[in-house]
Amino acid sequence: MTKRKNDMKKIYKAKVNRIERVSASSHFIEIECEIPVKVEAGQFISIYCDGLTLRRPFSVYSNNNGRIGVLFKERGKGTQYIKSLKVGDFIDIAGPFGNTFDIQNKKALLIGAGIGAAPMAYLKEKLDEKGIKNYYAAGFLTKDEVPAGMKIDKICTDDGSFGDAGSVLNYLGVLINEHKPEVIYACGPHIVLKIVAEQGEKYGIETQVAMEKVMACGIGVCRGCVIDIKKDGKIVNATVCKDGPVFKGSEVVWEN
Amino acid sequence: MGKLSVNLNGFELKNPIMTASGTYGYASEYNDFIDVSNLGAVVTKAISLHPRAGNKHIRITETRAGMINSIGLENVGIDKFLEVKVPELNENNIDYIMNVAGSTIDEYVQVAKKCDENNIKAIELNVSCPNVKSGCLEFGTDENSLYELVSAVRAVYNGFLIVKLTPNVTSIEKLGIAAEKAGANAVSAINTLKGMSIKIERVSGKFIKTIVQGGYSGIGIKPVAIGAVSRLSKVINIPIIGIGGIETLDDVLEFFAAGAEAVQVGTANFTHPETAEKLVKELEEYITKNGFESLDELKKELRA
Repeated sequence: MTKRKNDMKKIYKAKVNRIERVSASSHFIEIECEIPVKVEAGQFISIYCDGLTLRRPFSVYSNNNGRIGVLFKERGKGTQYIKSLKVGDFIDIAGPFGNTFDIQNKKALLIGAGIGAAPMAYLKEKLDEKGIKNYYAAGFLTKDEVPAGMKIDKICTDDGSFGDAGSVLNYLGVLINEHKPEVIYACGPHIVLKIVAEQGEKYGIETQVAMEKVMACGIGVCRGCVIDIKKDGKIVNATVCKDGPVFKGSEVVWEN
Repeated sequence: MGKLSVNLNGFELKNPIMTASGTYGYASEYNDFIDVSNLGAVVTKAISLHPRAGNKHIRITETRAGMINSIGLENVGIDKFLEVKVPELNENNIDYIMNVAGSTIDEYVQVAKKCDENNIKAIELNVSCPNVKSGCLEFGTDENSLYELVSAVRAVYNGFLIVKLTPNVTSIEKLGIAAEKAGANAVSAINTLKGMSIKIERVSGKFIKTIVQGGYSGIGIKPVAIGAVSRLSKVINIPIIGIGGIETLDDVLEFFAAGAEAVQVGTANFTHPETAEKLVKELEEYITKNGFESLDELKKELRA
């Protein structure tokens, strides 16, 4: 590994540029670092939350003019702290970390669920920029949970209050038959990713899924966030933070 | 050697700030944040005779004043460490101490032999591993088994030998004395405290519990560590390396006052990866600002 110059250090003081509620339980925060930071689709940043030991990782939702945007839900002390921030506040972020979605010139189907819709929206933006044909379907609990301003081709709500009724997964087969994707990208709860991976295998379509796990270091050293993957006929550990967060659906050993 | 240099019983460090095993990988990873070669030394992840995959269940959880880990000593094994990691450390001019783990005395001895043959200048024994031949009692919790282990390693290893003491004992002093008698050149104290976290959620009328058992580390353990260092300093004559909840320069000074000759930063590396390098700079500034000639003079006054 080569030594990095100071201006390439992966830790920044960042100013809160925007912070606003975008759905009943999710918020958008955009931050501006000392120097513009470029983030690829699938990567994450980790935010130091005042007084807490572990930084909180967030997949990137937008990256305009070097500013980084993420979506978050208030779940505990870390996200409570982030929610309490005001425009002009300074925070401490590290990253970008992790691998990226492998963007290929292949017709793509994107599946997002809940807060996992955010990194998929960023991936869609990247695919659109490259002129790669894609279709993005996302699922939420209710109409109130759909983030304002997110570009989605098909919205599903579990309670049927908006778009198509039921889980986005109910429509997976139909979407595959209709759009004939050559690759499926997904982010969301573990069970959603598992089903996407299974359906991909069934239809013979490559899947790439962005996983989530509690992390400490964010750079692969503490081995706290490992999952089992299949590699060269063996089952080995892979860190979600460094080897991932994006894995091929077919290489993950799915837990029940 | 500069103002911050430390002579630990013959082992020279450019400064007394190190990083603790398990929190710094094999070290060069942290070059993304700081220049790791500025640190006194980094202690590597625990290395065992064979590669280890580690534990299966949830491995980490945050607590109110730190975290609990149950990684299970996942590591690449001594052969790969020597082949891949050592050249990387050397290439980056990183001073390091190799942490060693094993499940039998023979495993420790075989690793120590390889370290000796490959001129690894310093090793730190993780003695909080279960001894599979003795009812899985941890080596570091029994004076006799610790003495036996350290003596066996000492017999095959000529470099600088540190024993990392566990706080999960009735009297850490007795274990420190056993390590010294067996030929250790220094002790480090403390390893993590045994702990458990139970997180409870109530979902759809049912309790969902997330349980993590393992080693508790972070700011919460600092008073335990300072107490251990202070008590050890009264009964042993080899240097003590202080570990436990170190984040700030004040923490470092407190460990010096308690009797530590050097310190290791652990969990704080996760929160602020630049902590150790920052402490080196702050300690140097503090010494200059307060007119001390050397680190030794500062320590002497702190202990007066």
